[in-house]
Amino acid sequence: MYKIFLCFRYLTRKGIVLFPVLAVWLCVMMLIIVNSIMTGFVNRVRDAGRSLMGDVVIQSDSMAGFPYYRQLQKRLALLPQVKASTPVISGYGLFNLPEFQVNTGVQVMGVEAGSESKVSSFGSSLFWQYKAPMQAVADLRGAGFPTTRTKLLAYAQKRLLAAAKIEATRQQHYANLKPIGNHAWFASIRQHWQVIAHEDYQQAVYKENRADRDLRMVQALPNKAFSSAAALRQAMVPKAPSFTPPPQAANRYLTGADEPKNGCVIGVDLGLYKRDRFGHYHRPPGVRFSPVIITMVPVTMKATLAQPQSRRFVIVDDSRTRVYAVDSKTVYIPFHVAQKMAFMQRQDLLAGGVRPGRCSEIQVLVRHDSSENNILAARKAIAHVVHQLELLHPQMEIAGIRVRTWDQVQAEYIRAVDNERNMITFLLGLMSLVVVIVIFLIFYMLVRDKTRDIGIIKAIGGSEEGVGVIFLLYGMLISSAGAILGLCTGVSFVRNDNWIHDHILWRIFGISIWNRKIYVFSKIPDQIDPHAVMWIVIFAILAGLVGALIPAILAARQDPVEALRYE
Amino acid sequence: MNSTLTTADSTARKPMLELSNINKTFRLGPADVRVLCGAGLTVFEGEFVALVGASGSGKSTLLHIAGALESADAGSVMFRGQDLSRLSRHSRHRLRNHAFGFVFQLYHLLPELSVLENVLLPAMVCSPWYKACIRARPGKRRALELLEQLGLKDRLRHRPSQLSGGERQRVAIARALINEPSLVLADEPTGNLDPKTGQTILDVLRGLHKGSGQSILLVTHDVHIAAQADRVVTLQDGKIVDSTL
Repeated sequence: MYKIFLCFRYLTRKGIVLFPVLAVWLCVMMLIIVNSIMTGFVNRVRDAGRSLMGDVVIQSDSMAGFPYYRQLQKRLALLPQVKASTPVISGYGLFNLPEFQVNTGVQVMGVEAGSESKVSSFGSSLFWQYKAPMQAVADLRGAGFPTTRTKLLAYAQKRLLAAAKIEATRQQHYANLKPIGNHAWFASIRQHWQVIAHEDYQQAVYKENRADRDLRMVQALPNKAFSSAAALRQAMVPKAPSFTPPPQAANRYLTGADEPKNGCVIGVDLGLYKRDRFGHYHRPPGVRFSPVIITMVPVTMKATLAQPQSRRFVIVDDSRTRVYAVDSKTVYIPFHVAQKMAFMQRQDLLAGGVRPGRCSEIQVLVRHDSSENNILAARKAIAHVVHQLELLHPQMEIAGIRVRTWDQVQAEYIRAVDNERNMITFLLGLMSLVVVIVIFLIFYMLVRDKTRDIGIIKAIGGSEEGVGVIFLLYGMLISSAGAILGLCTGVSFVRNDNWIHDHILWRIFGISIWNRKIYVFSKIPDQIDPHAVMWIVIFAILAGLVGALIPAILAARQDPVEALRYE
Repeated sequence: MNSTLTTADSTARKPMLELSNINKTFRLGPADVRVLCGAGLTVFEGEFVALVGASGSGKSTLLHIAGALESADAGSVMFRGQDLSRLSRHSRHRLRNHAFGFVFQLYHLLPELSVLENVLLPAMVCSPWYKACIRARPGKRRALELLEQLGLKDRLRHRPSQLSGGERQRVAIARALINEPSLVLADEPTGNLDPKTGQTILDVLRGLHKGSGQSILLVTHDVHIAAQADRVVTLQDGKIVDSTL
């Protein structure tokens, strides 16, 4: 058809169309990038929140918790929907690290390390008991399998030597960095180069420390062969996380009596570790196995404050859940200790009888898949069990127990972030209306420019509709071209955003948008939502049509004789 | 004097286009300008008619009305017995595409298209499928034949901006003839050309007229050009005042 033919000719031979194509391209790319990063952020927060609490949470409105939790757990275990459950004590306290002169208010979580790690990501959030050995397994893959401890030792030593060499070179480079000129203009460049060189040095130090850690872990391995990476992982990663201080913790204390009996896990963002631009934590020596004093203020059943309870602990590990609000405020201690400190343990009453032990919440992991419907069905069954137990024990009813899914617990926060994402996308979408105006203006000019052509087309038999369709198709082609370019570049950008940020924006131009010292996530969170991307592309194409609509109508209505006379 | 003039010879032949009692007024600001007042003209099958008149006498307006590009305020336009004012918009478009071939003073070629594409454009308009238009051998063959006939065989891929005035006008003639129209309406086709080139263009038109017997209605203010037509019709003050063989 002549309409398509003319559209393609105008598209390929009119330079001015590059402007609307560029406008659509940039808008589509910008919307895809913003939407993907916000979606990635929302989903990361959602996933992180979920991994903290399991699928369903049974919580009490009362700070004093609720009783008969063991009975409840036994009944939950009988439900076909429930895979595992774990009790948690939650309370506020003070954290005192005397050797480092740290005093801060914290949230104290009493957890059963073994069962907690089955329900939540507590186990995999621990550095020394999970992440470090996993990193070591990944680092030692280069040794090849099957392998032996001796071979692994040799390989780890080789890696450490290489890392030390790089570290020494970078340190020297950083120290010997010479000025590139005396002009003031060079000062900022020189400064940036120094920062880069220092960062490179920091990276080298981090890698050297990591290689050193790997070597120590290999040294601690039994002298046997490892057939695969899985076998090595099995030997390195403890089966279940624990609060028990490892034997090497004793070296930190003069006598066994000095060493606290219980271990604790601190949140990684509590302020004891430095975090570099690349999101790596630099753990200063001495923090691990340090003694800390944690003080909890128990709340009585009558909602009054009781005598504060203090205990000494050894820092055995640190936890990184990737939720800053949690990692910067939380200290984990053994459940039974927290229960005593919070006065929630089983008590014999003076008047006779027994007050059953209490917990703040029970976290439940649902069996089978984690689909929303499945979790909602499980929540319903759990709520029924709770209700039955409440009928049996009226004390439970007083505690005001609520059964909620992970989504319901963090609904308010997630909804806020979700709304933020939608609002930003909407606002950017509104800004993208500029595209419609750009297309309108360019098409208006184009119609004026092509007035005589319109007259010719009509003179040779082209209809009003035909002329209108030419400009509408033209608008659609332009917006489609821009949308496809925007789609390709936007998706490519999102897939490589971290690399672009670190290697181009930061290293070349000294621009840092995503500072990992500040943000929780070590990488820019990004997740392409195909549904959203599809709508962005559709709206962009429609924008082209809308922008071209009025000029197309004007063109269609153009009188052929007047058009032919147009100069 | 009767505004509709035909010769005795011409009444023996079949009329193709009959314009009778055509009135046309343009509103220019506050004033109404009456361009045509009761003008009438008949063009017979296979006839080469030259319409002459001073500038502003309404020649081009009459040609546009004859070619269904413009409507008359009053009067009738009959083409092969069909009243153009009663035709639907679609039928008028088809008529412009199939039955009429326009040649303009300023050539009016599409600058983005090549010579061949410009010539093929009316064929594309009449055909529903782009593929069928461009790739169908008959359409392209006819375009090539016409361009060869007009001495433009070597300029197929050139753009109008790369051609001389005479060449452009020849391309415009080829475009007007691609759908084998019954009537060629030429509005001052030599007006923008030097006398020599103008004569060449006129020779082309005359050759086509003689070769294929196509009817031609040519508007010109040049009496020497008009003299080479079968019949010369003079328009003065919006009326046909003379028609001579």
